Amino acid sequence: MKVDLYEAMSRAKLSRRRMLQGSAALGAMAAMPTAMGYGPAMAQDSVRAQILAIPGVGNGSPTDADWQKVGELCLGATKANVAEGEFAGVELTFMGLNNQNLHNLLFRGFLKPWETYTGAKINWIDLAQADYNPRLQQAIATGTVDFDIIEMGAPFEGETAGKGMLDEMPDWVKTQIEADDLVGYLQPPVGTWDGKSYRITIDGDCHTFAYRKDYFGEGAIGGAEVPKTWQEVNAVSRALIGQTDPLTGLPAHGYLDPLKGWGGFGFYFLANRATAYVKHPDDRAWLFDPDTMKPRVNNEGWVQAIQDVMDLIAAGAYPADQINADPGTTGFSQFLAGTGSMLMWWGDIGSSARTSDTSVVGDVVGFGINPGSSRRYNSVAGAWEETANEAPLMAYIGWGIYVTNRVSGDEKKRKAAWSAAAHLGGKDLSLWTAAYPSGFQPYRNSHFNYDEWAAAGYDKDFVADYLGSNADSYNHPNAAIEPRIPGIFQYYSVAEDELAKGYSGQYASAQETADAIAAAWEKITDQIGRDSQIALYKASLGM
Amino acid sequence: MLLVAAAQLLHMTGSAEFGFENWRPTLYTYITWAICLCWGQVLLHGEHGKRTLFVLPAALFVISLTVFPLLFGLIIAFSDWNLSSPDGRSFNGLENVRQMWADPFYWNAMLNMVWYVLAILVEYAIAFALALALNAEIRARKFFRVAFLLPLMLSPVAVSWMIGKSMLEPRFGPIASLGRALGWDDPSFFGSPWIAKATIMVMDAWTFIPFMMIMILAGLQAIPKELHEAAKVDGANGWRAFWEVTFPMMLPVSITAILIRIIFKLKLADIVIAVTSGGPGGATDTVTSFIFREYRDRSNVGYGTLLAMVYLVVIVIAMTLLMKFAERISRPRT
Repeated sequence: MKVDLYEAMSRAKLSRRRMLQGSAALGAMAAMPTAMGYGPAMAQDSVRAQILAIPGVGNGSPTDADWQKVGELCLGATKANVAEGEFAGVELTFMGLNNQNLHNLLFRGFLKPWETYTGAKINWIDLAQADYNPRLQQAIATGTVDFDIIEMGAPFEGETAGKGMLDEMPDWVKTQIEADDLVGYLQPPVGTWDGKSYRITIDGDCHTFAYRKDYFGEGAIGGAEVPKTWQEVNAVSRALIGQTDPLTGLPAHGYLDPLKGWGGFGFYFLANRATAYVKHPDDRAWLFDPDTMKPRVNNEGWVQAIQDVMDLIAAGAYPADQINADPGTTGFSQFLAGTGSMLMWWGDIGSSARTSDTSVVGDVVGFGINPGSSRRYNSVAGAWEETANEAPLMAYIGWGIYVTNRVSGDEKKRKAAWSAAAHLGGKDLSLWTAAYPSGFQPYRNSHFNYDEWAAAGYDKDFVADYLGSNADSYNHPNAAIEPRIPGIFQYYSVAEDELAKGYSGQYASAQETADAIAAAWEKITDQIGRDSQIALYKASLGM
Repeated sequence: MLLVAAAQLLHMTGSAEFGFENWRPTLYTYITWAICLCWGQVLLHGEHGKRTLFVLPAALFVISLTVFPLLFGLIIAFSDWNLSSPDGRSFNGLENVRQMWADPFYWNAMLNMVWYVLAILVEYAIAFALALALNAEIRARKFFRVAFLLPLMLSPVAVSWMIGKSMLEPRFGPIASLGRALGWDDPSFFGSPWIAKATIMVMDAWTFIPFMMIMILAGLQAIPKELHEAAKVDGANGWRAFWEVTFPMMLPVSITAILIRIIFKLKLADIVIAVTSGGPGGATDTVTSFIFREYRDRSNVGYGTLLAMVYLVVIVIAMTLLMKFAERISRPRT
């Protein structure tokens, strides 16, 4: 820093005397806020304010130059732990995604200044979402892990950490990334396995409820109140049949269930309905019985969720061709384009509603947590309880950065890998990824400072509504946490096939559909290994 | 070489404790053996051996790239190998066959393939008609030849998005709008099983009819003009000349075009995966798209490989029968 100051002043051709005078003045200025007790905070706030202004709200999409600038401004934490040029000669391989031209493309920009400062070089493996799972699975199964750092979702911790493929996080990293700032549900056991920490969280996933405000209110077509339970959501969806959308003039529709699979990810959307029925506050498990791994997907609560969808199909409540609508369609082609009035989705909908060129609902969209239910099913007792229930779904538990055991034997390389990962998971940098298109949702308590967003130019009411729905979901005492067990997406994928048959009328009932899913899940459990699945399921639930 | 391979095989199947961690030693042994074999040919047979070297290395290379993977695939096909299983791969006898026998998704996809293949007859008729039109003395013939070929140059994924996701989009798609204008209340092209299947057939046909058309056109241009002139002199009208001269002369080309098209069709997957994911309820699923799902989404390598192997056998048998049938009907009548 002093060298920078000296060079800057040299460029300004200052005399030695003027320079000393200036230094004294700067010193006095620097001392004042410290004496007043808010010095460091001001410096950090300054960085946060600066990065939130890159490129600035309404100034178009960020570019690689912006990502590099943000990366450079956030290098402070790295510099505290790593000397300049300390990793010269180190080469690391980073495997991640390139969804929507985000993820790895941002990481490249963020890490460019880190590479310049540390002297390390990063080689990139970019994968599309669809190719990611098989690539990772094959690498694990065939023992050909060819990457040092990996961007990975928590559901895969069972397959990686559970198989000893990951390197344990050093303590200095925990300090650097300020792990205590993570929202409650992302705290351990998430990111840990057998008590060891492996994950630097860079995302927080949950599904939130998005609705059209112009459908609800006095005299509105959807009723006076925004639905709070799935029973109300279903009733509104039926009541809207034959009505006209107030914004587009097209047929009005209620809730948008995606009826087509999405490589396993589509199952989350049935789970949104089901968790309200089956996630009991006294029981962490909701997908399987933790003692036997017997699926719960065919209990009365889950069957009710499937029946809800079947009833709405039979009633004609969905848009035409909904049977061919996957979550990408319901979120981006339908809801943001003005079709339908209610939706469950990840945070992308919230950030895209105002910023996407294709969105027409930016001014009329509101947010909430996953609708609840007026009754809940107690899986242990095997009976319904006439008690209201809420259970937001933490779908996918967010992306994290992990370091593989390829670097464990080389201390210099190991430190470099963790330093790069920590840079991406840094507190300040994460504020930027939460605020701008990145593919990541807010996930730290410090992200929910609405004034900070408002100062950067965001509409405070909108941000409070959007972020509030995230915060309320994360902090919900009965949140449904996804089990981090091997093959979890195999279960989801096979369920999607059976649901598609059920929705198209090839099964006689919701119960028969659910039974088919349960039977397929049993096969998968037996194939992967029931005992190991039970152990890992319990571990992932912290039981 | 065989000893090394056998040791590795026994080790891999768990029958013996000795062996190697991976197949690399076997590969190195094979390369060494191949070099020795080539060298030996020269030493033993002199000039004749040198001539053998023009073919032998290529043959050995092909063996390593086709025969070995095929054998490896066969082993996997009779294994229980889920990539998520901590126990890895294990031999499970005929369990995968039993599972396949009881798998409604696989047989449903197989049945769909029958419909998809039958649709080739319609494609052939359209391709023939287009080829006849382009073979005639029409205006802008060169332009139309190029224009009709364009769909073939497009990636099936691009076709999926351009037609399946855009033009057929039920709310704003131009074809859906046209359907509404013509009185179709609910123009949904992928909502019901048969319409979805037919729409996929049309999209696939749109891409590949130009391929059949260009083959038939080449055949038409090879028919000597004298034959048509002779038919004309004999008093045959255009319709009769087509059935008595053109069509019989085109039979060998037509059969070739249809057989190649069947091979393409049996591999149909990309359009289905991109547009319907096999839905609604498996109505548009193909064997290839189902195997892809089984392997990619479910990491079920053993079962997926068995399905692929069985499909390969079915294709080989079907194509052999078809070729025999084609040979019979294209044999000149005496």
